[in-house]
Parts: sequence; structure tokens; C-alpha cells
Amino acid sequence: MASEIDTPFYGESTWFCCGNAWGPCGGTGHGACGTCNSGSLQCAWPNLSDACFSITRPDRCGRTGLLRWGCGHTFQITSRCNSATVSVRIADCGPQTDLFCGEQDCCSNGLCARDRLMDLTPAAFSRIASLSAGKIPVRVAS
Amino acid sequence: MSDNLDRRRFLNAAVFGGATVVGASALGSFAPQAAFAGLRPDADPHPELDPSLPDPNFAEGRITGIDGAMLLVTGSDKARHRIYATSGTSVWKLRPATVDEARIGDGLYARGVLLGDGALAADAVWLNIVNLTLYITSVGRDVIHFDHHGERVVGHVVPGTTVAVYNGTPAVTDLTPLKVGTHVQVIGAWRPDTNEVDLATVYAVA
Repeated sequence: MASEIDTPFYGESTWFCCGNAWGPCGGTGHGACGTCNSGSLQCAWPNLSDACFSITRPDRCGRTGLLRWGCGHTFQITSRCNSATVSVRIADCGPQTDLFCGEQDCCSNGLCARDRLMDLTPAAFSRIASLSAGKIPVRVAS
Repeated sequence: MSDNLDRRRFLNAAVFGGATVVGASALGSFAPQAAFAGLRPDADPHPELDPSLPDPNFAEGRITGIDGAMLLVTGSDKARHRIYATSGTSVWKLRPATVDEARIGDGLYARGVLLGDGALAADAVWLNIVNLTLYITSVGRDVIHFDHHGERVVGHVVPGTTVAVYNGTPAVTDLTPLKVGTHVQVIGAWRPDTNEVDLATVYAVA
């Protein structure tokens, strides 16, 4: 049985923009939950709904057992690189896990995580890492 | 006394007291990555806010004015922000940069400390930074064409800057393993008001 049945679990987190922001985010809208904004402490979750799961397909990466959580559910995200933590609420569907199956990210302290299981808004990601990092290994607790 | 209260007073003094911020060495390096290396789990002084509300210590938008080290920014929600960049503020614009490289029209994200007058004293500013999942449609010597949710994005390879990371291995300058028909993640700098991006890092599962 997959470890994700019981949080916390480990995976990669990237960041994304939402809320009709500048640049390529200009037409993104406010996400699947209708509330997503780049300046809020929010996240995208790959098992938000059946429709979401059919896009993100974490099971194709062997990450079965990710629980179904709906809009507004709160996670505690902790960077494995510096132990910084941020609380976020689900506001969108993502990331597209199956496009990067098996991808691993490691910190300079040797701690790693595999597969993209979390996507944070810029406000949330920047609480625990520099945006220029792009993606980091994290611990996800519900 | 928490590190973050010290940082708030430090930045207040830098902004209002005319004090010189000497490389932020008193509180540790504020280099783009190192700024987060020593972050304590409880570094933020604010009690946990409703995550769905805008984070008061974060700003996003486009620069509409520049007055010395103060950036005037209008957010995507039309909120107006005043952002102070000190000599201790880490700035990113395709690469580590200085606030002098900010231009009106640049897109901005900033994280820092909210001051008593409502301005944000920035620990870190990212100019035009984008993080996109893209589909490669063609590869040239200096240009890569992508599809982004049905929209075309043109990626410019910047000599001395653009690197690729293949499945978590150390970054390299060799982009030849990037293939048409594959998905990549791109950290880059948007060229304002275009569909073009200067490429900083291309992440691929090769």
C-alpha cells in the first residue's frame, strides 16, 4: 500500500502563478476552485477531483494512494532543505505529475524527494525557498 | 527575540534611518538561494493567517514607477504596493541582479517585511520570473519554441546563463538532449509584453 495513504509524505514541489497575473499568467484565471491568486498561500493538488486526477495521473508514477482532498483543505508544507514551513490551502488542480515521473530533487544536505506532488503559489513557495529554485523536495502533512 | 523581529528592525532602520545595510551579514547572507538556507521553521512573526487571504509580506504585480530604491507596483488585483529594496535585498532578473536593473513594466514578486507605513521592505525581489511547464515544438541553435496550453512561447538561449538539468543531475550547458515532443519545466525571465522568455534553467526528464 502506498505511503501517501498516511501523511506526511515526501515529493517535489514546484510553483505556479494564477489569478490573471502578469506575463504568461495573464489568462490563467483563478484555478479549479475559483479562488487561486499568486499572492495568497495556496496550492494545487493532483487529486482534487476525478477530472483533476485524470489529468495529473500520479498513479502512472507509482504514486498510488494520494488521498482525495477538496478545495480549501489545508496542508503543512516543509522544505527538506531548510525545514521552513508554510500552511497552504488547496485552490487548484496540479501539478501534472505524470509528465515528470521519477524526477528527483535533492538538497545540499543530501535529503531528496521524487515526483511532483505539490504546486505552490509564488507567495507560498517564497516562504520556504527562492522562486529561482523552481522546485524543491518537500514534506507534505495534512 | 526572534530573528525575524531583528530583521524587521534592521530593515526599518535601513529604510528610514539612512543606515547602510552591509550585505545583511548581521542576519546572514541574502543571496538568492542562501537567503533561505538558514530560515527557521518559525521565522515569520505573524500568526498564521487565513491562507486564502493575500500574504501581507508578499507583493506581486508590474512595476509602474521607480523612485530611487523604491519600486511602485500595481498588482493583478489592482492593489498598489511600495517596495523598498536595500543593499541587503536579493534581486533576480534572469540571474542574480541589482535593483538598478528594474524597469517600468517589469513583472515582480517580492517577499519581505511589512513596515508600519504599509510599504514592504524586501528581502528578495524576482523580476519577470516565470516557472512554466512547456511542450517543445522545435529546437534551434539559440531559440526553442514551446507550446503552453495552446499558446506559443519563444525561449531564448542566453550564452553564459542558460543551463539544463536532466533528472536532478547537476546543471549543464548542453541543451542537445532536449527533444521535440517532450515536456520540460522552464525557469526564465519574461520579456514584458511579448510571448518570449529568456531561459535560465530547463528541467527535463531525459
